[in-house]
Amino acid sequence: MSGMTTYFIRRLLLIPVTFIAITFLVYSVLRVVPGGPIEQAQLQIKMAMMGEGGSAGLANEAAELQIPAAAMEELKKYYRLDKPIPVGYAHWLWGILRLDFGRSYVYSQPVLEVIMSKFHISLYFGLIGYFASWLVCVPLGVSKAVRHKSGYDTATSILVFIGYSIPGFVACLILMVLLGGGSYLDWFPLGGFRSENWAELSFFGKIFDQLHHTAIPVFGYLMGGFATMTMLMKNSLLDNLGADYVRTAFAKGLSERRVLFVHAMRNSLIPLTVGIGHALGLLFAGSFLIEKTCNIPGMGLLGYTSIIQRDYPVILGTMVFLVLIRLMGNIFSDAIWAMIDPRIRFGK
Amino acid sequence: MILKLLYTAVLFTAGYLFTHRALPWLFVRAGRALGLDMRPAPHWQKRIKRFKTFKRGYYSFLFITTLFVMSLFLELMVSNKPLYIRYDGRVAFPAVAEWTGKLLFFLEPRPMDRKSDFGQPGDDEVDYRLFAAAKKDPAIFDRQVSQREAEISDIRAQLAAAKKRGLSTAEERQDYRDLEEFIPEIEAEIGLLREAKGVFTSGRASILMPVYPYSPRENLLDMPGQPPHRPSFDHLIGTDDSGADVFAQLAYGFRTSMAFALMVSLSGYFIGIIVGAVMGYFGAWTDILLQRFTEIWASIPFLFMIIIVASIVQPTFFLLAGLLVVLQGWIGISYYIRGEFYREKAKDYVQAAVAMGASDWSVMMKHILPNSLVPLVTFSPFNIVATIGTLVSLDFLGFGLPIGSPSWGTLLSQGMKYLKYYPHLIVAPSLALAVTLFLIVQIGEAVREGFDPKVFSRLR
Repeated sequence: MSGMTTYFIRRLLLIPVTFIAITFLVYSVLRVVPGGPIEQAQLQIKMAMMGEGGSAGLANEAAELQIPAAAMEELKKYYRLDKPIPVGYAHWLWGILRLDFGRSYVYSQPVLEVIMSKFHISLYFGLIGYFASWLVCVPLGVSKAVRHKSGYDTATSILVFIGYSIPGFVACLILMVLLGGGSYLDWFPLGGFRSENWAELSFFGKIFDQLHHTAIPVFGYLMGGFATMTMLMKNSLLDNLGADYVRTAFAKGLSERRVLFVHAMRNSLIPLTVGIGHALGLLFAGSFLIEKTCNIPGMGLLGYTSIIQRDYPVILGTMVFLVLIRLMGNIFSDAIWAMIDPRIRFGK
Repeated sequence: MILKLLYTAVLFTAGYLFTHRALPWLFVRAGRALGLDMRPAPHWQKRIKRFKTFKRGYYSFLFITTLFVMSLFLELMVSNKPLYIRYDGRVAFPAVAEWTGKLLFFLEPRPMDRKSDFGQPGDDEVDYRLFAAAKKDPAIFDRQVSQREAEISDIRAQLAAAKKRGLSTAEERQDYRDLEEFIPEIEAEIGLLREAKGVFTSGRASILMPVYPYSPRENLLDMPGQPPHRPSFDHLIGTDDSGADVFAQLAYGFRTSMAFALMVSLSGYFIGIIVGAVMGYFGAWTDILLQRFTEIWASIPFLFMIIIVASIVQPTFFLLAGLLVVLQGWIGISYYIRGEFYREKAKDYVQAAVAMGASDWSVMMKHILPNSLVPLVTFSPFNIVATIGTLVSLDFLGFGLPIGSPSWGTLLSQGMKYLKYYPHLIVAPSLALAVTLFLIVQIGEAVREGFDPKVFSRLR
């Protein structure tokens, strides 16, 4: 077996260890803090009784505050709260392995279903944002490298710095004020995934409505990686333009265009692909803020609301997805890197 | 108006002179007094000189540092308490007291200035702005007196009417007596106001308000209309929905953000350097174990984790800073230092130091570390940018600094509620954030160019 294969096998084997370490940490934090599942369940029972009981509920209010000992025991057993943390965690992990994530308190649905119903929304915005950033950053980086130290370079550098100074969600907010609010222009809707009457629209209406809602969040995603990616592209192209093989290509008498786009570009794109795995993680981590700002019902907003509503099964469920995607993403991007660049050899 | 502009200009000049003339001078003097040679090493002098040639970055550096040092004195510049107040022989320095009170928080707080001691009817804290207004225009007292006289005659009329109706029940008699008791109280107030007018007109009262006489947490409920208010001449950027002045919040928010970011980056550097140095210097099993640990630690979705913790325990300034450092702040630096130490430890000077019997600690900190400092310095502005961004995001989500601390993120989240009608609540904080971060990025670029120049060779 080559060194590379063993290296990646070792990395893959490390995933469960990392996964268990992180989820155990989160599980313990959630267990030891106040406002945990039991209190949550108590609250729910109280609410339910208030709802069905009406005036009768008010009459035995004092009795309601005390959940019967038997019911309490049942709750504890259900969430394994009577067991020490490691045992409870083992049960939870066993459930995860059988793809049983528990039920959401808030949605009263299996957690997996809840997450699956949000997953594609995040993916949609994240992927479009990622491709948009390639479409913008690569040409910009290339043109900056070609015209290094010119007026154009300085001017676009300022633009890049401005992009770096504005977090993605703040860019979304500003755009919503300028283009989406009643304050100035009213060109775009104020957040959301689709209009409420989306199902009734015609085919082209649907497409238009979807794009209409996509524009501002995607701009936010774009801003997130804009500066880093552009400068990465520019610097790596500049590095390559100074390399010997480019000199050779020029010496052969090739046109500048051919040297640039066929010889130098191919190698300069390699550092950018390293970001692919990272971007996978970012689709979700970055979406926290943008999904909250633009009110997109995706994974990020789900994570946020579940924390606010103390919906522990969902918090842990989103955590599982986040961690897995990030871990896989890192290995994935290393593998891609090694694949397209034969100079990169891991495990030596 | 022109006076205020002049005053602000003087303040800025003083701030600049203090930050970039007095402080370095003091620093060098203190160092010399301790017997240190305070001149930087020649290669550092060269780097600093190169840094200064990048004008954009250098001026940003001067500006931001001046602003930050000035913001440490905010209580004396943006506050609803006067720097100095004098009333009939009684002298107080409320703003100064508030400022020192923040520095020396362990001392007992100064008792507040009671209204009745400063010619204002009532027992709560003096309304300093009213005091300042009265200083400008003592006719305010006449208006207050005539208003109270009208109250008295109104009460008298009510009493007379009640008497005409006749006081049959005990309850009615009690009401009558209660109403009657108001009259001497109001008369005492009138006496106080008349006396105050005398004090003011004879020049025995004076007050000096800060340049911008509003505090970030003061609810200006007596302004006409419902908060939030749009920008006006008095309130440069309007007020938020609790009627607190936005400009004052932005100013105090700047200080909070900068102090927070500085603290987080410095402590992150501290831990990162130690962990990285241990990994790189000792290598072998120490390195492998620590690296696995760092890998796991770095895979924690840290924003998510902070939010979970913050949703349970309301974080304080220091708790939040600590969380950020422990979960994220040290990781990048430790990787970097580890690499540097691996490279440096193979060099001859390290061998020489070891041969001379230097301890591990001394080799790490005295010999290797000074040679790996450049990247740390060039990273730090970007580190600060990232930390401020994180703080604003956390505040925006509502899981940041405790409620009541002035912050840009909180303003942004409030602005989101009033997106349609009060755009200033979003535009102002985002502009403040963008401009600050932009200037810091400029510093970072200049530092990078100056300390770690990269020359690209090209054929054409």
